[in-house]
Amino acid sequence: MKLNIRMSAAVLAVLLAAATGCSDKATGGSGGTGKDGVKHGPGVTDTTIKLGVITDLTGPYAPLGKGLTQAEQLYVEEINKAGGICGRKLELVVRDAGYDVQKSMSAYSELQGSTLAIPQLIGSHVASALKTRINSDKVLTIPMAWSNTLLGSEYLQITGPTYDVDMINGIDWLVKTGAVKKGGTLGHIYFDNDYGASALLGTKYAADKHGLKVVEQKIKPTDTDLTNQAGALAKQKVDGILLSVGPAQSASAAGVARVAGFKGPILGSNSAYAKQLLATKAKPALLQGFYIATAGIPIQEDLPALKKIRDGYAAKFPGQPQDSAVVTGYSSGEIIGNAIKKACASKDLTREGLIKAHRSTNAFDNGQGGTLDFTYFDKPPTLQTFIVQPDEQAISGTKIVQNRTESELVKGYKVPLA
Amino acid sequence: MFESPRWVRISALVAGVALMLLVPFYADTFWMQAGLFAIAAAIGAIGLNLLTGATGQLSLGHAFFLAVGAYGYVYFASESDNHFVGLGLPTPVAAILAVLLAGLVGGIFSPIAGRLKGTYLGIATLALIFIGQHILSNAESVTGSHNGRQVPPLDLGFLVFDDSPELVVANVPLGAFERLWFLALILLVISAWVARGVLRGRPGRALNTIRDHEIAAGVMGVPVARYRAAVFVLSSMYAGLAGVILALVFRQTVPDYFGIILALDYLAMIVIGGLGTVAGAMIGAVFITLLPQVLTRYSDGLPLVAAPGSGGFSPAEAARIIYGAAVVAVVLFLPGGLFGMWTRIRLAVAARRHRAV
Amino acid sequence: MTKFIELVVNGLSVGSVYALIALGFVIIFKATEVVNFAHASLLLVGGYITAVFHDDIGFLPALAAGMLTAAVVGMLVEFLVLRRGRTSDHGVLAIVTIGVDILLTTELVRRIGTDVLDLGDPWGSQSVTFAGITIPQTRIAALLVATVLITAFLLAFRYTTWGVAMRAAAEDSETASLMGIKLSRVSLGAWAVAGALAAVAALFLTVFPTPGLDRNTSLVALKAFPAAILGGLDSTTGALVGGLIVGLTESLATGYQDQLHFLGHGLSGVAPYVVMVLILLARPAGLFGTRELTRV
Repeated sequence: MKLNIRMSAAVLAVLLAAATGCSDKATGGSGGTGKDGVKHGPGVTDTTIKLGVITDLTGPYAPLGKGLTQAEQLYVEEINKAGGICGRKLELVVRDAGYDVQKSMSAYSELQGSTLAIPQLIGSHVASALKTRINSDKVLTIPMAWSNTLLGSEYLQITGPTYDVDMINGIDWLVKTGAVKKGGTLGHIYFDNDYGASALLGTKYAADKHGLKVVEQKIKPTDTDLTNQAGALAKQKVDGILLSVGPAQSASAAGVARVAGFKGPILGSNSAYAKQLLATKAKPALLQGFYIATAGIPIQEDLPALKKIRDGYAAKFPGQPQDSAVVTGYSSGEIIGNAIKKACASKDLTREGLIKAHRSTNAFDNGQGGTLDFTYFDKPPTLQTFIVQPDEQAISGTKIVQNRTESELVKGYKVPLA
Repeated sequence: MFESPRWVRISALVAGVALMLLVPFYADTFWMQAGLFAIAAAIGAIGLNLLTGATGQLSLGHAFFLAVGAYGYVYFASESDNHFVGLGLPTPVAAILAVLLAGLVGGIFSPIAGRLKGTYLGIATLALIFIGQHILSNAESVTGSHNGRQVPPLDLGFLVFDDSPELVVANVPLGAFERLWFLALILLVISAWVARGVLRGRPGRALNTIRDHEIAAGVMGVPVARYRAAVFVLSSMYAGLAGVILALVFRQTVPDYFGIILALDYLAMIVIGGLGTVAGAMIGAVFITLLPQVLTRYSDGLPLVAAPGSGGFSPAEAARIIYGAAVVAVVLFLPGGLFGMWTRIRLAVAARRHRAV
Repeated sequence: MTKFIELVVNGLSVGSVYALIALGFVIIFKATEVVNFAHASLLLVGGYITAVFHDDIGFLPALAAGMLTAAVVGMLVEFLVLRRGRTSDHGVLAIVTIGVDILLTTELVRRIGTDVLDLGDPWGSQSVTFAGITIPQTRIAALLVATVLITAFLLAFRYTTWGVAMRAAAEDSETASLMGIKLSRVSLGAWAVAGALAAVAALFLTVFPTPGLDRNTSLVALKAFPAAILGGLDSTTGALVGGLIVGLTESLATGYQDQLHFLGHGLSGVAPYVVMVLILLARPAGLFGTRELTRV
């Protein structure tokens, strides 16, 4: 009878669904030990080690995400060409979350079960949202944001100084060069999020120690017209303008400030500048008196490690900009690679083994000039900052004004934890 | 008229329920999370459907009430410490209070809603979204601003909806998502049942009359203002409940999520699903929530392999394009939404069978 | 005092650009009773075309091309999508425009990518200073151009055949069509004009002091919604006034945000919406909108 067909179809559907949806949940997922006696964590097999990337290729941080991801792909390709690590090939699993929290959480849910570590996570609010899960899942994660709120967690590793540290070093430099004197005033335009809040902490500390006053201007990341803010600061005749905003806002602020007659220095955090800006009308304002405090070494510097990255990136991605994201991305690959190598030596490629190996590195040196200390996580792995300036001819779009420096001022600063 | 026999419908229902109950034993984390998002969205969509589909009050502010539910729960359930404030109430109580709070806020807004009609009401409710975002990013001690706050897991005494006290059933470890799944399902069934009851009974007919012929309804003795306010409160409570579930799934509440994109998503859910029906709202919610997840999961995760600037679409962009096209196509060609299409197919099949007999 | 005057001039200038967007929005609503959520993408199309072509064919031709493209896209949306809508429920048609907006915006943002595009305007960052007040030339140009366009449009609306046809169709479409007015032409015209106005708005939203057109520019078009609503969705005067009010509110809220600090930071985003709600409480159909009279 026709009704029986319906019944059977329903039962069949249930059975089919039950059979096809079957994952190895009942047995507890991947794990076990490899043929060479190395213990396996999620994403590790006898031939591959999977690493997860939660990036932004289509949202507001697309330029950053693209550079980071491609540089990481370059690193993985080079490592695999040389035989991989621990006799296993590295494999990147890339998920584009477009800076959206829900998508990032979904990507994390997927990657947490299938990859060993996460060398790239874009979005500090995303990292904060996932912190509890990252800690309980024990996934070594490198968030691509440098806010102090990301410190204090064993499994989160930021790869440079936090925004407040950069600001302190930067303000110290401004005072040392005489551009800003004791008793002067600094105007700080910053984003209403933890990027801006973190930078402001540094400004307040440095200003206090140098006897400077601070005028604050908070803006939303979606504001692109800074006439009111920059104009107000210029009118108040501040001695220096600090920008902890995005590239578009920096261009607007710098342009407005100069037109309003502001002649002092403008100092931006590392996320406040992007090479693309030099192709816009804002170029003149950016080429004169505009500086950036950043931890990243410009890629054109004359070091063999950087030349390797430049050449490799130019070969694999010809014509693409080689900005700070490329250096950061490649380094993030190296940091995780370093941890995997050490963990392999202890024959333990589980998550616990990986974090132990990582946290045992106290002087990570990838040939870029400085060293990073991963043995602690309540402060940044380094306190050294570069001061750079936009430069049309330079490959990275910036050139060094002051080489990496850890100022005396920042030595006494304790980075507040979340 | 051409419905299948009762026992067939019941066995189909039972099979469906069994299927749903089996999911946590087989699905991986990604699908568990996606499914939970879909269930929460379904509950929210049912509420919005009561407001917009049944009563004709266009609301673009639904995401605001979701935020009230989510943040309300966090506030009621967390303890105060040196960063944040909270009332530290037992979590089930906090959850119920959060839902009631959402309803209360809806009630406060409803007189404003009562004065406005059509698009004016729609954009006024959009104001709620912006006001909500403003409050969420400024009231730092309550909301934790842009980083949000940690969400205390629901603790029913005998069962904690978290990963830690381990729970193994049939050799499968059931973590937080799996446990939440059962709770969310129960809540969805109750929500759907209540909404259906409202829509099929006298209140439902009154609401529909208010939507279609407001003056006539008033003349006939329907207390229009009171009903409009009541449905606003009810719909806000549904949103609040969805918000609580989302908070429990996210484990950290972030204000970015409750913005204009989510508001437009909910509108799309009830229209695509089929305006005016509970089943439609649920179908629309599942469709809108799962579509981008499926697309990003199953397309190639390395979109940059093609030369840059070439005509390729990244998975995220493809997901948005298909989503936009789906909205346009369903609205233009399927006036009853997906549920309307399903009903027509079912009736057409049954009719053909009847004719053949 | 100079601060206040500068804020006001700035606010009026930005407000006049919002008025351009809101006017287009209202024109579409008057002609077709559809709330156009795709307006942001029309704006983006116009701006994008201008940005892409200004190097090759010069600024003014590129601007004209941008306006033409936006107008054509608007007409295509009306012709292909909205006319086919089987339902005449305008709320549902509005949802279609949401879908169209997603489609258009995604594709345009994909093309713009990570670039910040220059539209090749002739004013650059030059400013005019008098009596201690500095105003960028772009702001003055925005104010002038917007005034000219809006005045031209209002005159056309009142005195040309097309304008009368549109007003008639908005008033009572059945009778208008019985009187021989081609409703399809009226709606096509409305969408075309709205697109062209949006393209001009795109220009003034991306000149100094913003660095250029990028993927976030379309979000600014969202600000036209409260402008159109608080002026009254079916009133062109309302769109003008609404745009100015929103521009002024934003400018003053940003300029005085220190004094208004107790209301929280980032007030300029939410202030226009609050003003809108307050106005709606007093006048539920906006300042100049017609209150719906229903026949029993």
